Amino acid sequence: MSMHARWRRIRTASIGVVSVGLLATACGGGSDNGGSSADSDTLIVYTGLAGDWPRVFNPYLPTVSEGPGTIFEPLFFYNIARQDDPAPRLGTEYAWNDDGTELSITLREGVEWSDGEPFTADDVAFTLNMLLENEALNTQNFQGEPTVVDDTHLTVSFEEPAYMKAPDLLGKTWIVPEHIWGELEDPGTDQIPEPVGTGPFTLQEFSPQAFTLAANENYWDGAPELPEVRYVALSGNQAGADALAAGEIDFQTGPVPDMANFEANHEGYKDVTVHAFQMVLDTCSNAELGCTGPQTDPAVRQAIYYAMDREQLNTLAFQNTADEMSPGFALPERDAGYVSADLENQTVPMNADIARAQEILEGAGWTMGGDGIYEKDGERLSMTVRVVTGWTDYITAVNTLSEQLKEAGIELTPQPASNNETMDARGRGDFQLQIDSQYPGPTPDPYYVYNNFFNSDNTVPVGETANPNFARYSNPAVDDAIAELNQINPADTEQRQPYYDIIQAEIERDMPYIPIMLGGNTSQFNSAKFTGWPTDVNLYAYPAVWQRPDQAEIYRSLEPTGE
Amino acid sequence: MRYYARKLGFYLVALWAALTLNFFIPRMMPGNPVDTLLAKLQQRGGSVGPDVREAYALMLGTDTGEPLWDQYFSYLANMLRGDLGVSVSVFPEEVTTVIAQSLPWTIVLVGIATFLSFLVGVVLGMVVGWKRGTWLDSLIPATTVLSAVPYFWLALIFVMFFSTSLAWFPLNGGYDVSLSTGWTWEFISSAIYHGFLPALTIVVSSVGGWLLGMRNMMVSTMSEDYILTARAKGLRNNRIMTRYAARNAVLPSVAGFAISLGFVVSGSIITEQVFSYPGIGGKLLQAVENSDYALMQGIFLVITVAVLAANLVVDLLYGFIDPRTRVEN
Repeated sequence: MSMHARWRRIRTASIGVVSVGLLATACGGGSDNGGSSADSDTLIVYTGLAGDWPRVFNPYLPTVSEGPGTIFEPLFFYNIARQDDPAPRLGTEYAWNDDGTELSITLREGVEWSDGEPFTADDVAFTLNMLLENEALNTQNFQGEPTVVDDTHLTVSFEEPAYMKAPDLLGKTWIVPEHIWGELEDPGTDQIPEPVGTGPFTLQEFSPQAFTLAANENYWDGAPELPEVRYVALSGNQAGADALAAGEIDFQTGPVPDMANFEANHEGYKDVTVHAFQMVLDTCSNAELGCTGPQTDPAVRQAIYYAMDREQLNTLAFQNTADEMSPGFALPERDAGYVSADLENQTVPMNADIARAQEILEGAGWTMGGDGIYEKDGERLSMTVRVVTGWTDYITAVNTLSEQLKEAGIELTPQPASNNETMDARGRGDFQLQIDSQYPGPTPDPYYVYNNFFNSDNTVPVGETANPNFARYSNPAVDDAIAELNQINPADTEQRQPYYDIIQAEIERDMPYIPIMLGGNTSQFNSAKFTGWPTDVNLYAYPAVWQRPDQAEIYRSLEPTGE
Repeated sequence: MRYYARKLGFYLVALWAALTLNFFIPRMMPGNPVDTLLAKLQQRGGSVGPDVREAYALMLGTDTGEPLWDQYFSYLANMLRGDLGVSVSVFPEEVTTVIAQSLPWTIVLVGIATFLSFLVGVVLGMVVGWKRGTWLDSLIPATTVLSAVPYFWLALIFVMFFSTSLAWFPLNGGYDVSLSTGWTWEFISSAIYHGFLPALTIVVSSVGGWLLGMRNMMVSTMSEDYILTARAKGLRNNRIMTRYAARNAVLPSVAGFAISLGFVVSGSIITEQVFSYPGIGGKLLQAVENSDYALMQGIFLVITVAVLAANLVVDLLYGFIDPRTRVEN
């Protein structure tokens, strides 16, 4: 009997559990549809990050959830989308002395931290000294010496001309409050869960699935019109595209299906595409540093350059979002003033020129083999090209490319591998060709691409990790020109141009990175709910949700329409 | 007593072997955390100068230059102390924090789904086995087809159908993000509502296995003499089915259930991915993508311990229920 009673109790209990579940489902179903909030003024963004948000608001950590630009401000804003002068933020003016070894900065008056403390030059000096003392935080390799003149003036002195360091120093150094950060045990491992900054927004609410920034009522430029920004967590691009289609997010940067008809398919949404990333084939080009394979011959690289049909690549692989690039690696539109007149091609040829490619190969001693592929000294003109599995646009591009090059007698074998493995191989030089993309510098100036990718200071022999001159390119003429550019005030464009001409001519001839096209970054945004978005004709900031501090410039310009 | 001591000893050795594999396998993967991190920053517009790499290597502590063996022994010592280290992909959060944050979601979602699937499968299997030869037999191919369908595909179809087209259920997430987390009715109901579709996916795709196993055991149990005796006594059919046939037939399924409980913590990576569910499966994927050794080790450790513990419980129970297993040769 007792046993029966127990059974009955368990049965009753489980019925109870099930009905509670059903009830809850019914309630949930009635009250809410789709998980988006009712607040029509909140901007909901997805940054493309896969997974939950860590509570990291330390702007100096690579895992920071948010903060640079929105909560913590730089001294100036550098727009990499077009040739603007640096816009004053916490700083109002800056000037170099004659030889570029001393930078004087004037700071904005009357700025307060979000906890009410006044902002002064001491905070700036503290931030810079913190970088000097913590090597792990000093990603820009700042080596100057800050001196506070008074509350709104300070100078930074350098041992060598440091003109080219300014954009990182002025535009990417997030000023932190001394009265809080001075107490931290180790700023390099502190998550800063409750950030205090001077920026237009403050952290309001946090959970790993979403956090909300609220307009800073005491912002020096007045509180932004946009009251709240909510960052949501999704599992990746696919989930992002789904949520966008369902109208659950207002702003994201990333690929969506059927890009050409995006605005027709998503009512109230618009998209904008910008071009700053240069797609290239990295080549392990330098036999002296241990590279092997036909691509160490410049003629082969030139032949690939002429044999590819970029128009077809753009259509088949990039949904026509890519744009023409220059073989001198200055962006044709943004950096029009820098593109050298001495270049053989101002921009890359968009269609294949097989005859030209074959002429170059034959001029370098390659002969057509029986199987339709060139050969030289018994070596076939056959190379592997590395590509990341799952990056469908690059995979399509590489497959199309291998078809195109076969016409010219060049054999390409795609070599797909995981992102980790491919990037690891790129660093160690364990590749012949690799499809890749070169990132722009901190300011609209091709100098940074030249220094990063073409300066022999930034490369090492095959087997060690190069960073980031992956092609192992080493050319004294280019190195010297970069060294000269370091000594010249960037405002003096006339004096700089001859060096740009040298670099561009050298890299067009050597072609350690074979130019493909400018990659397009497409962002989608809800223009019915908010106005003030950047457009093709008014690129006041780089319109990508993950680009910091540009995202803060966009949030500051947005106004809810109230719909 | 010696039986139990031997069992415990075996599990200790198994645990050590698992810990060792957890250490070495992730390190055999190509790539390293710093370069993976840099590549990610570069793809997303970071201005990544040549000096960044050195700074991050210092920050994440990946360039200690310590030999692998020393790392291995300090890893074992840390494990004994319960120190799982710092995660690189969400630096500087502790691995234990990351796991503690996502494990409950998975245990509740996958746990309830596994339990429901077991319950439904066993009950259906009992009925189908009892009434074999009737139209009910067609349930077997129907459910096995569903469990043969790829998991992620089923999940995607559900999302397309129930979330995107019909809008009955939310598209993604574990709860309505505009609510604050806590033990409020609003939050809990939102969590149940968000968990319904992922749970349904798991149940639908796993119920077939339980059903098939239970049905087959029912069929063989029904030919036992005691069933015949029960019929001869004139007992009600329902009573024979539940108290005589099913109670004996369910034993292997219960053992299987105990083991599958151990796998609950490993979650359903794909289901969680499709629904952007904040569970441990997504974390494991994140760890692998970022070469986050510490997080991988931590998650593997939790999975290993859960599976071993479930096995141990089953082993001990079996020794208790069936004395034959305790006899030494």
